[in-house]
Amino acid sequence: MPNLPGKKDIFLMGLWKDNPVLRQILGICSTLAVTNLMVNTLVMNVGLIFTVCMSSLTVSLLRNYTPMRIRMMVQTLIIASYVIIVDILIKAYMPDISEALGPYVALIITNCIIMGRCESFARHNPPGASLVDGLGMSLGYSLVLITIAIIREPLGFGTLLGLRILPEGFVHWTIMIMAPGAFFTLGFLVWIFKYFQPRFEDKEKK
Amino acid sequence: MEQIHPLTLLFAAIFTNNILLTNFLGLCPFLSMSKGKKSALGMGAAVVFVMASTTALNNLVHYKILIPLGLEHFRYIVFIVVIAAFVQLVEMTVERFFPPLYYSLGVFLPLITVNCAIFGASLFMIIREYNFVQSLAYGAGSGIGWMLAILTISAIREKLQKSSKLPRGLEGPAITLIITGLLALAFLAFSGMIRVQ
Amino acid sequence: MKKQALSIVYMFLITLFFASLVSAVKFLNEAKIEANQIVKLQRIILKVLNIPVRETISNDDLTRLFTAQIKDIQTGGKILYIGYEEDGRTIRGYAVPVGGPGFWGPIEGMVGVTPDAAKVIALAFYKHNETPGLGGRITEDWFSDQFKGLPLYPIEGGQNIFYLTMEGTQKAANELDAITGATNTSSAVEVFLNQDLDYFLRELWGSIKEKE
Repeated sequence: MPNLPGKKDIFLMGLWKDNPVLRQILGICSTLAVTNLMVNTLVMNVGLIFTVCMSSLTVSLLRNYTPMRIRMMVQTLIIASYVIIVDILIKAYMPDISEALGPYVALIITNCIIMGRCESFARHNPPGASLVDGLGMSLGYSLVLITIAIIREPLGFGTLLGLRILPEGFVHWTIMIMAPGAFFTLGFLVWIFKYFQPRFEDKEKK
Repeated sequence: MEQIHPLTLLFAAIFTNNILLTNFLGLCPFLSMSKGKKSALGMGAAVVFVMASTTALNNLVHYKILIPLGLEHFRYIVFIVVIAAFVQLVEMTVERFFPPLYYSLGVFLPLITVNCAIFGASLFMIIREYNFVQSLAYGAGSGIGWMLAILTISAIREKLQKSSKLPRGLEGPAITLIITGLLALAFLAFSGMIRVQ
Repeated sequence: MKKQALSIVYMFLITLFFASLVSAVKFLNEAKIEANQIVKLQRIILKVLNIPVRETISNDDLTRLFTAQIKDIQTGGKILYIGYEEDGRTIRGYAVPVGGPGFWGPIEGMVGVTPDAAKVIALAFYKHNETPGLGGRITEDWFSDQFKGLPLYPIEGGQNIFYLTMEGTQKAANELDAITGATNTSSAVEVFLNQDLDYFLRELWGSIKEKE
C-alpha cells in the first residue's frame, strides 16, 4: 500500500505545487471575470472555499455508499446545491455584490476545480484528508485571484477595495478593467509560475 | 420598454459580446487541449447546436414550468440536467441515424456538458430577461461567436508551433491566454458596430 | 436489476435531501431578499426627490420616512410616486420610473421631476448589467449629477431633451458628458431616457394632474 501523503503535504500541494489555476489551468472563467475589483474577488473566494470544502467533505462521506454509475450525477447535485445556498446567502446579505458578480456565482457549479477534486480525490479518500485537500486547492485559487486583483484594480480604477491608493493624476489603464487586461495578466502569471516551477514530478525524479 | 431585436442580439453575441472574449466562458476545455483547427471546427459546430437549443429550451422551462410552480430557486440544477439530458439525447440520435457524423463529431459531445459556456449562456439569458426568440438568437450567436474565437486561437497556435521556439514557461496555456487577450483586444474594435436601437 | 433499483432509490433519497436543504435556506432568507429589493427602491425614490436620508438610517426608519412622504399612483401602466413635503400636503415632485435595454441587459432607474414637470430634480439608476467601471459608471454621482436641473420639454422636430456627447465637446446646455469607453451604454441610455421622459410629459403628466 503506497504511503499516503500527510495532511500538511496535501494542503501545500493544492496551495502551490499543484495550484489549480496556475498548474492545472482550472477555474479560469471566474478568475478572469471577477478580478477587476478586489471586493468581488474576496466574495468569490469565500463562495468557492465554502463550496469546494463542503462538496469534497460530502462526497467523501458518501463515497462508500454511492453507486459507481451515478456518481457524476450525485456529485453535480451536491455541488449545485451548495452553490445555490451560497447564491441565496449572498443575495440576502450582500445584494449589491450579488448584482456585481452576476452569473459568476452560479458558474461555480461548472468550475472544474470542484468537480476535479471530487472525482480525483474526495471519492477515494477519508473526509479529513478530503477537507484538507479542498481547503488547499481553494486557498491556492484564492491566492492567485487576489494577486491578479491587486494588479487589475489599482491599474484600472486607481483604488483597492474602494479606497484610492494611486494619486488622482494617475491615468487609469482602462484595459485592465476589460477582458484583454484579464487575459494578459493571467497569461503572464502562468508564464512566471511555469518558469520557476517546472513540473514537480520531474524534480522528484532527480 | 423596447426589446432588443433578435438579429441584433445574434450579431452582438458573435462580435461585441462574444461569450469567450468578453465573458471568459468556455476557455477551460480548450486550454488543456492542444489540438488544431479540425477539432476546433468539430467542437464549435456541436457547441453552436447545443447552445442554441439549450438556451431556448431553458427559457421555456424557466418561464413556463419553474416560475408557475414557484421553483425558480432550483433553476441551476434544472438547467444542468436539461443540458446533460439534451446532449445525451443528441449523442444517441446522431449515433443511431447519422453514424458518419457521429464518428467525426460524436467525441466532442460529452466534453460539451462540462463546457461552462453552455450553462453560462442560459444564466445570462435569465439575467437579461430574454424572451424565447431572443434566447434562440442569443444562444445561436454565442455559439457561433465561441466557435469563431476558438477557431482563430487554434489557427494562431498551429502557426506558432510550426515556427519559433517559445521562451521557457510560455508554451501551452500561457501563450494561449496572451493570444486570447490580443484577440479580445481586436474584438473590442467591433463595439462601435452595433447600435442597440 | 437490483443494482439499478438501488441506484434509483439512492438518487431519489439524495435529491430529496439536498432539495430540502436548498428549500430550507431559501425559505429562511426569502423575506430578507424581498425586503432588500423594496428598501432599495424606496431609497432611490427618496434620493431622486431630494429628500435627505441619513447614511446610517435603518431599514425600518427608511420605510417609515418613505410611507410618510411618498404616495404611489398608477397611470398609463406604470407606477409613479408623488413626493410630499414634511407637511404631507405640498407636492415636492414626482418620481418617474425609466428604463430600457442597455448594452448587456435591461437598465432601470428613477427620475425625479419638479411639481410643474419643468425640470429634473435628480436621476438615479438602480438596476443594470453593464460592465463595472465602464457602462456601470451610470450609477456614479458625476454622471447622474449632470441631470440635476435639466429643463424638460416634449420632443419635437427631433430636438432631444438631452444629448450625451464625448467629454469636453459640449456646445449646448443640454449636451452632457457620455462615459468614456462606454459608447454603447451611453447611446442606449440617451435613447431610452429621452423616450421615457417624453412619454411622461406627453401621456402620463396629463392624467396625473387630472387625478389630483
